[in-house]
Amino acid sequence: MPTYKAPLDDVRFILNEVFPVARLAELPGHEDHTPDLIEAVLAEGAKFVENELLPLNRSGDEEGCHYENGVVRTPQGFPEAYAKFIEGGWTGLSCDPDYGGQGLPHVVNFIMEEFICSANLSFGMYPGLSHGAYNALTLHGTDELKRTYLPKLVDGTWAGTMCLTEPHCGTDLGLIRTKAVPDEAEDGAYAITGTKIFISAGEHDLTENILHLVLAKLPDAPAGTRGISLFLVPKFLPRDDGTPGMRNGVMCGSIEHKMGIKASSTCVMNFDGAKGWLVGQPHKGMRAMFTMMNAARLGVGIQGLGLAEVSYQNAVTYARERLQGRSLTGAKAPDKPADPIIVHPDVRKTLLTMRAHTEGCRALACWVGMNIDIAAKHPDPEARRAADDLVALMTPIVKAYFTDHGFDATNMGMQLYGGHGYIREYGMEQFVRDARIAQIYEGANAIQALDLVGRKLPQDMGRLLRQFFHPVSELLEEAQEDPELLEFAIPLAKAFGKLQQATAIVAQKGMKNPDEAGAASTDYLRLFALVALGYMWLRMVKVARERLPKANGAAGFYDSKIKTARFFMTKSLPQVNALFLSIMAGSRVLMDMDADAF
Amino acid sequence: MEIRSAAVIGAGVMGSGIAAHIANAGIPVFLLDIVPPEVIEGRGNDRSVVARAAIERMLKTEPAAFTHKRNARLVTPGNIDDDLEKLAGVDWIVEAVVENPAVKSALYSRLDAVRKPGSIVSSNTSTIPLKNLIEGQSARFAEDFMITHFFNPPRYMRLLEVVAGPDTRPDAVAGLSRFADTRLGKGVVACKDRPGFIANRIGTYWIQAAINEAMDLGLTIEEADAVVGRPMGIPKTGVFGLVDLVGLDLMPYVSRSLLKTLPPDDPYRSIHREPELFTRMIAEGYTGRKGKGGFYRMNKSGGARVKEAIDLSTGQYRASEKATLESVGAAKQGLRALVEHPDKGGTYARRVLTGVLGYAASLVPEIADDITAVDQAMRLGYNWKYGPFELIDQLGPDWLADALRAEGKPVPALLERAAGQGFYLTEGGKRRFLTVAGDYADIVRPDGVLLLSDIKLGSKPIKRNGSAALWDIGDGVVCLEFTGKMNALDGDVMALIQTAIGMIGDGENEWKALVVHNEGDNFSVGVNLGLALFAINIAMWPQVEQSVQEGQETYKALKYAPFPVVAAPSGMALGGGCEILLHCDAVQAHVETYMGLVEVGVGVIPGWGGCKEMLTRATLNKKRPGGPMPPIAQVFETISLAKVAKSAEEARDLMFLRPTDGITINRDRLLADAKAKALELAKDYAPPEPVALRLPGPTARAALDLAVDGFRLQGKATPHDVVVSSALAGVLSGGDTDITVEIDEDGLLELERTAFLKLVRSRATIARIEHMLGTGKPLRN
Repeated sequence: MPTYKAPLDDVRFILNEVFPVARLAELPGHEDHTPDLIEAVLAEGAKFVENELLPLNRSGDEEGCHYENGVVRTPQGFPEAYAKFIEGGWTGLSCDPDYGGQGLPHVVNFIMEEFICSANLSFGMYPGLSHGAYNALTLHGTDELKRTYLPKLVDGTWAGTMCLTEPHCGTDLGLIRTKAVPDEAEDGAYAITGTKIFISAGEHDLTENILHLVLAKLPDAPAGTRGISLFLVPKFLPRDDGTPGMRNGVMCGSIEHKMGIKASSTCVMNFDGAKGWLVGQPHKGMRAMFTMMNAARLGVGIQGLGLAEVSYQNAVTYARERLQGRSLTGAKAPDKPADPIIVHPDVRKTLLTMRAHTEGCRALACWVGMNIDIAAKHPDPEARRAADDLVALMTPIVKAYFTDHGFDATNMGMQLYGGHGYIREYGMEQFVRDARIAQIYEGANAIQALDLVGRKLPQDMGRLLRQFFHPVSELLEEAQEDPELLEFAIPLAKAFGKLQQATAIVAQKGMKNPDEAGAASTDYLRLFALVALGYMWLRMVKVARERLPKANGAAGFYDSKIKTARFFMTKSLPQVNALFLSIMAGSRVLMDMDADAF
Repeated sequence: MEIRSAAVIGAGVMGSGIAAHIANAGIPVFLLDIVPPEVIEGRGNDRSVVARAAIERMLKTEPAAFTHKRNARLVTPGNIDDDLEKLAGVDWIVEAVVENPAVKSALYSRLDAVRKPGSIVSSNTSTIPLKNLIEGQSARFAEDFMITHFFNPPRYMRLLEVVAGPDTRPDAVAGLSRFADTRLGKGVVACKDRPGFIANRIGTYWIQAAINEAMDLGLTIEEADAVVGRPMGIPKTGVFGLVDLVGLDLMPYVSRSLLKTLPPDDPYRSIHREPELFTRMIAEGYTGRKGKGGFYRMNKSGGARVKEAIDLSTGQYRASEKATLESVGAAKQGLRALVEHPDKGGTYARRVLTGVLGYAASLVPEIADDITAVDQAMRLGYNWKYGPFELIDQLGPDWLADALRAEGKPVPALLERAAGQGFYLTEGGKRRFLTVAGDYADIVRPDGVLLLSDIKLGSKPIKRNGSAALWDIGDGVVCLEFTGKMNALDGDVMALIQTAIGMIGDGENEWKALVVHNEGDNFSVGVNLGLALFAINIAMWPQVEQSVQEGQETYKALKYAPFPVVAAPSGMALGGGCEILLHCDAVQAHVETYMGLVEVGVGVIPGWGGCKEMLTRATLNKKRPGGPMPPIAQVFETISLAKVAKSAEEARDLMFLRPTDGITINRDRLLADAKAKALELAKDYAPPEPVALRLPGPTARAALDLAVDGFRLQGKATPHDVVVSSALAGVLSGGDTDITVEIDEDGLLELERTAFLKLVRSRATIARIEHMLGTGKPLRN
């Protein structure tokens, strides 16, 4: 059975020393959220996932969900764990206190999500989807809808879903067929009819009610994505007293049998004249949905991070314990029959690759997470816009790069276990299977890359880019003054130069021929992500160097940070050169071959 | 004959505008109107108050009627009761009084009695036939009389329709036409004595057809204007926006006077309508921009400014909605794609164009001797990018003939003749047009007219890249043309300038001189700000610095090239587009050239040698007051307030142009004038001597900073204005220097560059750039 300890030390380092979370306490509404309080909350959260969720991960995977006559049962132990989860108030961690939430910064929820995903990704799907529905309703729902539904989503007694995909369309939502017609009996209500597939948490036994947020077309809808509206469709129509009442016309038709996240129910949902209410403006559903999707995309990125972390922890344990062969430079454990495999350079390279990327991603997640809070609460509209720009820019990078890393890292973890990684016993293969979907759903990673080059990069002549490029440029200039930092700053400066060049070229060529941007997109996203992680590492190593002399007991922590930073800068970051060359090759090499010739 | 003095009778909008523009040509002009009844009745004692008030008004109108305020001194106000005798000495009298034949006739008799023999009398009538005007006048009067029909506003609208009668002396027509061309800058189009002459005859039909079809097809006015505007090469006001501009109340007046004189079978009669909605709008004062609003209006009642538009079916205002017609997008593929598009915009375009183009084709030779006159009149009088016959060629004469037949309309003989070949063709690099006789004739430009577009038609560029091209304009002169979007300046432009410098060499071989010119609406509004912002956003500071340095070096190389460089700008020349002019050996500017160093508007200072050149000019100006401060203060004021000259004459006041720089009033003659200047300079040319300045340094900077601080305290300067001005003050005062040290040009350029690069990294500057790109207006932060 895999083990897991939430990385509280690393989180403390990032939140207290690298991006001081104390600054969030300056924002209105967060005055009481001191670093101490946040630390205590996260320690409590760590305990919960380690004790309650981790033990159910393997069993949930083995058992999976059960479907019978429209009813879905989650694996054993899930309903009880969920009851404890909401009892602990974890569903409302960063929700609005007006609706019963605790109002903590989003970054805290981000970190809690990482812990949950490390311990039990399938379980995390249920509250994760609810939180997406909470976001959409908060921003776009009418006051009445908010009053009725938000408290239930916040306290977790009701859950939420996002119903987008249909049998014939996923990425291209302009093609959806689900219809909404005004309800003749009730003013402001609609009757929704259609079939949605791949609906995570579409039906389950964890909550007394489920709220579906459904994309559908009104009778007078323009064609394409400009004609999509968003509706709230509850499984049970609430009575006047707020309790679940009559069953609505929405049923789960079946559940999918899939590679991973087996304890998460993936449903076909049939809407047959189901009663629903408009969320946001008619035909403006995509806008409302994007609020939900952007948060969801960041959340999916966190899934990759969480799995990479747990796989790393177990890989380290195994590499230390597994005795096999001898070190290339002579026995390191002569008293034992063989050396632990951690003596091997390549085993270390694997472990450091997992660790350097995971810690870099965690720092990036926290930076983005804190900017979500600034975007939501800062009194200065300029500061809000700047923060929002950064979040928008980094969302596709977090989603795609973190999930690619999640899959790569879990594979590395499995590889270190050899045959024992491939069999079920150690749980390492489950991480691989669970990680795989994150690269696919919420917009496949190649779609994220298109979002980056096609939308985020050119927007207002690179306005979003400024929120990343300027801080990096400033930090690099600062680092020029510090000889101790140069060994880290120089590789980053070179990689940053490549990113600047690639950005200018992709923008310029892409404006004339969008295929050029498309051809460069995934390489470009990866290049960008590596530079972003490099930036995180330079910030981390700068702090670690400052703290090391006075660290006493924590000296080992800072020393490891510095060594991991050195690994990242010298062994991982140089990948940007290959990516740059591939970007420069342009689109012709891809478009030259006739479709028939493939 | 030469026109050395003139008079305009009638100080209305047209009369006073014509007088102002005659003054712009440097000609003294009397402006006479009636003695107003209240003065006659003893209230007020200024008997010339009408004309005097008109001149005052002219000094305040926007856009300005005078190319320089001092020109107003050339206009002498008077009244027709006391001052008619003064006209005995003038060479040309323009009548612009009320459109009433009896009033005009009486006036003509009085004029005839006082005017000198051989002087020309012309009427600015737009509706009364010449033959009616000369009825009852002396034979001598008829010989000296013609119609000169100006368009409003006279300074800016380039069309002048000239109508001669059967008795008019040909030398008088030729003389006045030549004067209007070379001194007033007009495109003179000879018209026949037919109702509405050319432009209004076709224009009125077009407006009516566009309104009728919009109503019949149920288009919104936004949709209609989106179709009959830009996609057809017509100003974006389209039709309803145009009517708002000229005044809805004029419409029935113009159409009724046309109906009085048009032939009985004229097709306009069958489409003429006066919708009840329009009558009501006029009655209630909704006559357009001059009234309470028109088809469009800005509703400020709710506190916010909301653009509203009239709903043609209800007659009520509603919030304006941007038109979203697929056909408008399809028009990017050409006019045919527009008219063949299945949506209502396509149908609308087809009906309007079929109507107006068929009408125009039926009017030659009735209203003009050839099609070029018609096309020229619509281009210059209605600001159409293409005349009707050019539009027909875009659609195909056969397409139009088929469309007319399909609608059961007659196909004009001239259109049949053009079938299968077109109204224009290019042969041997020359543009030729279809004559009424059915053969093709060369388009002949008058002496002294040289058009880059003609050269481009008949040759290939010597060199070109994405943003500029070099053309051989004859006699060893090379023309540098900016070709990028909005003629923006970028690395490609700089590279081609360097290429030109290398190619022309010492000016002793194949090439002798360089002219910088283009035929865009604006010479150049400076650097490609979008590209610059992108580089700034991704923190490519070395590249930003390189582009500043590259511009500095290129402009400096242009200044010291061993051959003459003459620029021939027209329209806006701002920022980097102004700086290149400052580096040329000479500028031959179109009078409508608007120069300015407006960099502070985007939070930077001129960085391509603009500060250096202005400072050098001001310092070396012999007429300036003594001491080191006055030139610095003068340049500081010009640049820190982003002053823009509203004409080439004003540019001289601001030192953007030197006394030796020339001004050409007719745009078509600009390139020829510049070329002649370049060839003149090429005779024993020597590049300018390098200059070095002694500047006062920090003391001067402190003085300028103090002044800016004063503006800040008065609320006239924003916080970032102070930052930008201070950086400018640092450059203009010479940086960390003192009066004993000489600073050469490279030293000044380095100061510019350093200050520029510091500013461009500030958030407030980036916010200004973003705001300018997003809204087209400067941000006051």
